[in-house]
Amino acid sequence: MTTEAEDQQREFVERWRDPAYGCFSSGHKFCRNVCPVMQVTQNENHSPTAFHANIVAMEQGALTVADVAEDYVHCTQCGACELRCPNTLMAGDFYRARTRTVDVVKAMRALAVDSGIEQPNWKRWVEATVDRKNEPVLDVPVAQENVANWADGLGLGVGGETVLFVDCEAAFYRTTLPRAVARILQKGGVDFGLMREQWCCGGPAAEMGYVARSREFAVHNVADWRGIGASRIITLDPHDYITFTEDYPKYFGVDYEFEIVHITELVAELIRDGKLSLMVPIERVATYHDPCRLNKRKGIHKSPREILRAIPGLDFRDVDHVTQWSYCSGAGGGLSIERPEITAAISQQRLDRAAALDVDLLVSACVWSERPLAAAGETRDIEVRDLMELVAESAGLEVTAVTT
Amino acid sequence: MTTMAISDALYDELVGILGEDGVLTGKPARWNRTRTPAPFPVHRWKEYVPDVVVLPRTTEQVAEIVRLANRTGTPVVPRAAGTGLTDGATPLRGGILLDVKRMNEIREIDLVDRTVTVQPGINMLKLNEVLQPHGVMFPDNPASYPCSMVGGRIGTSGWSLIGARYGHTRDLVCSMEVVLPTGDVIRVGEGGGRKLRKASTGYTIKPLFFGHEGTLGVVTEATLELVPRPQAEFAAFFGYRDYDTAWRSTGALAKSGFATLAGVVLFDEWKLAYLRRDDEAYIEQPDWLKSVVAVAMYGNKAEVVPAAREIMRIGRESGGSYLGDEISQGDWAARHDRYAIPLHGRLRTGEVAPMSWHCEDAALNYSVLPRVREEWHAIADHYIRRYGIFDDWGMFAYTNGAYKPWGDYLVEIDIGIWEQKLDDEMWEAWLNCKREITEVTLRYGGSISACHGASRAGDVEYVPQELGGAFDVMKKIKRALDPNNVMNPGKYLLDQAYED
Ligand SMILES: Cc1cc2nc3c(=O)[nH]c(=O)nc-3n(C[C@H](O)[C@H](O)[C@H](O)COP(=O)(O)OP(=O)(O)OC[C@H]3O[C@@H](n4cnc5c(N)ncnc54)[C@H](O)[C@@H]3O)c2cc1C
Ligand code: SF4
Repeated sequence: MTTEAEDQQREFVERWRDPAYGCFSSGHKFCRNVCPVMQVTQNENHSPTAFHANIVAMEQGALTVADVAEDYVHCTQCGACELRCPNTLMAGDFYRARTRTVDVVKAMRALAVDSGIEQPNWKRWVEATVDRKNEPVLDVPVAQENVANWADGLGLGVGGETVLFVDCEAAFYRTTLPRAVARILQKGGVDFGLMREQWCCGGPAAEMGYVARSREFAVHNVADWRGIGASRIITLDPHDYITFTEDYPKYFGVDYEFEIVHITELVAELIRDGKLSLMVPIERVATYHDPCRLNKRKGIHKSPREILRAIPGLDFRDVDHVTQWSYCSGAGGGLSIERPEITAAISQQRLDRAAALDVDLLVSACVWSERPLAAAGETRDIEVRDLMELVAESAGLEVTAVTT
Repeated sequence: MTTMAISDALYDELVGILGEDGVLTGKPARWNRTRTPAPFPVHRWKEYVPDVVVLPRTTEQVAEIVRLANRTGTPVVPRAAGTGLTDGATPLRGGILLDVKRMNEIREIDLVDRTVTVQPGINMLKLNEVLQPHGVMFPDNPASYPCSMVGGRIGTSGWSLIGARYGHTRDLVCSMEVVLPTGDVIRVGEGGGRKLRKASTGYTIKPLFFGHEGTLGVVTEATLELVPRPQAEFAAFFGYRDYDTAWRSTGALAKSGFATLAGVVLFDEWKLAYLRRDDEAYIEQPDWLKSVVAVAMYGNKAEVVPAAREIMRIGRESGGSYLGDEISQGDWAARHDRYAIPLHGRLRTGEVAPMSWHCEDAALNYSVLPRVREEWHAIADHYIRRYGIFDDWGMFAYTNGAYKPWGDYLVEIDIGIWEQKLDDEMWEAWLNCKREITEVTLRYGGSISACHGASRAGDVEYVPQELGGAFDVMKKIKRALDPNNVMNPGKYLLDQAYED
């Protein structure tokens, strides 16, 4: 290692040794059974416990970032381990202590990148994102000039107080979703506009350890929001919601003035206030997939259920949000890009659990989860749809993909 | 990037058995499969690192690994969840770390003869999730219920929180498949039965394979007991002005004779002081309270409801004040989670220091509990004053016998240790503290361990003394079954078996 890399590692250990020791000294491993990756690999290298213990070993001079970097790829940053940890459960309120495995994983990935240890697929992904300003969503042509193509024919304007931020996967791949959302907002009387030039939120780059890159996207997007006078940002993807509520405030500090809203919260409110009525029955047997970033990381699990219960005709077979701490699609945290086979196995397991409920529909509220879940659903005849697509349909609105 | 700690030839043979995916040679893989949650001389971590990790899926693979180990003289250390508190799964001589987590299949659920057959890498919480829709459960319920695994439960001969009602691990295994230290595969049960609960044919071999800490082979499959899921669960917490009244009341409750009794626990004032001081989930109790007794019952409604009324009467008549439903139900429900919070460690000055949790877990008779308690706390106090890195987190005594909870108790003293401060001197001080505690246990006719095993430093030195002539038998068995000393060598002083 170069001296600079050594210094970086020393600083990192200094910063994280005590929190890591909080886990090392407990080591009960209650987190292991809820960890989606551990559930399929059964390889302890990928456990939250190891993610913390490695730092203690680094302090002992036994391991280096080069030894462990690859292990930290195996995390979807779902946050389940943090919730299941007795240290969070029993010391969380009083000591304001929470086991922060997700932050540890992000920090270790950043240290790896800063030390010149890169994962090939992430590197390519981030480079392409920088190049095109949006993520190179698989199987579709991505370019900045197409970022708003999904909105063709909807008559949406640019700018205003409220902005709808459409995630790359939704904008380029699952265009039914943003179209459904736009129509719901129009019908519910919510005034909103689009950005002049929407770049990737930068969240994935940060999750993969490319923090400087992530900031560049953030700086652009925030400048765009300010330029059009936006103060409220509606996100339809939980990943963006995390980026805007956790990463951006870190980048901009007290100067970050935006209210960030997730679509499920807003739509539940519209229904509650009678501004949106769901009249068209949907005669399906469905269960709900709690997206990790909504449920485990942000505690949003009531509004989606409230919405599903408001849909007439739907036979909704719920699995409570605590049981779902151990559920995941496997799509988050860049895992699907670097280890697609593990993502697929996690999605298979999620669909097995859905199949046990005899449903024909799995409803998610996270567009990134929907591709791997849908693939796993095919062999079981379980369709995977986004909650907002269902809402639109039940509100009598057209749900179509863009045809251009 | 790191060079392997094993020869290319051994690596190739292992890959031949397991495929590349099942053989891990990297440093993080090896370093993360050494320690257990028990305090660990972190400054000596490197002495306990295995040379290679294997992740088998089948019995045949395990047998081949063990045969290979015999041929090459390589140690094999089985590891399940790695939560054992006596360092059983910590290699003392490197070698092959055999991690059974990928052996996690449920092979058969037999609702007619009431058994479930599993591989050793399954955890009880997961298993019971699958069993629940069938109205049955596997009732082994340690505080490590969300993490420990069947293989480790057998390897340590574990103790269950509801063992008075349903039995402990060794009472809940009908039969098991074992890869012996020579690589031969046998099934041990009651006589030759797979799903029998009692037989008298031949020697009673099965108990030998509980609590051997991986020194007598590897369990690769177990046929476990299924019990009906209880219709009713009852818990009551009583408070007392002094320890002696609480101790007498504990005796009265434990001797009540109700078959539904799952456990009676006696907490002393150190434990209460600790909870009052630092446990945010602690439900506020009046200052006069110096001791608490918890009682739990499980079973059918027709049994539990009337029995609970009697238990309430006995508790009150023996001097207890009922502490209310909130603590009774809430604290009982949180029993798996209220463990080892490093933030609860305090120095004598009151300053918070991140401490690891150590617990002594002696088995002791009811009659000696008050005296042992005083002696143990005095020892802890001495070490706290002298070294400043320890903290006394109090004691509890928990009914110990399966189905016969009256005569003896699992007695724990929980001690916080600031591991980051350990060096050779502090480590030795800690071992001396443990040794003094152990000497008290033996002086009062107790056993070093009711649940975790006694193979770690500070305990293990006393095993020959505790077992006497039985330790010689232990050595003979070890040598007979493991002629080349490949299974978890160095544990339980069993190297002595090969001295002559
Ligand atoms: C928070 C916490 C609470 C606890 N509460 C309790 C409790 O209430 N009761 C209790 O009894 N214990 C308790 N323990 C201790 C621990 O959970 C038990 O000792 C448990 O039985 C260990 O299981 P494991 O799967 O972690 O085994 P490991 O630690 O992996 O192994 C334990 C021993 O078994 C051997 N072994 C593992 N698998 C096999 C196999 N397949 N064949 C042969 N040998 C094998 C290992 O070599 C080792 O010697 C607690 C621990 C923690 C951390
Ligand atoms: S992350 Fe929490 S639950 Fe997991 S081992 Fe560490 S302290 Fe225990």
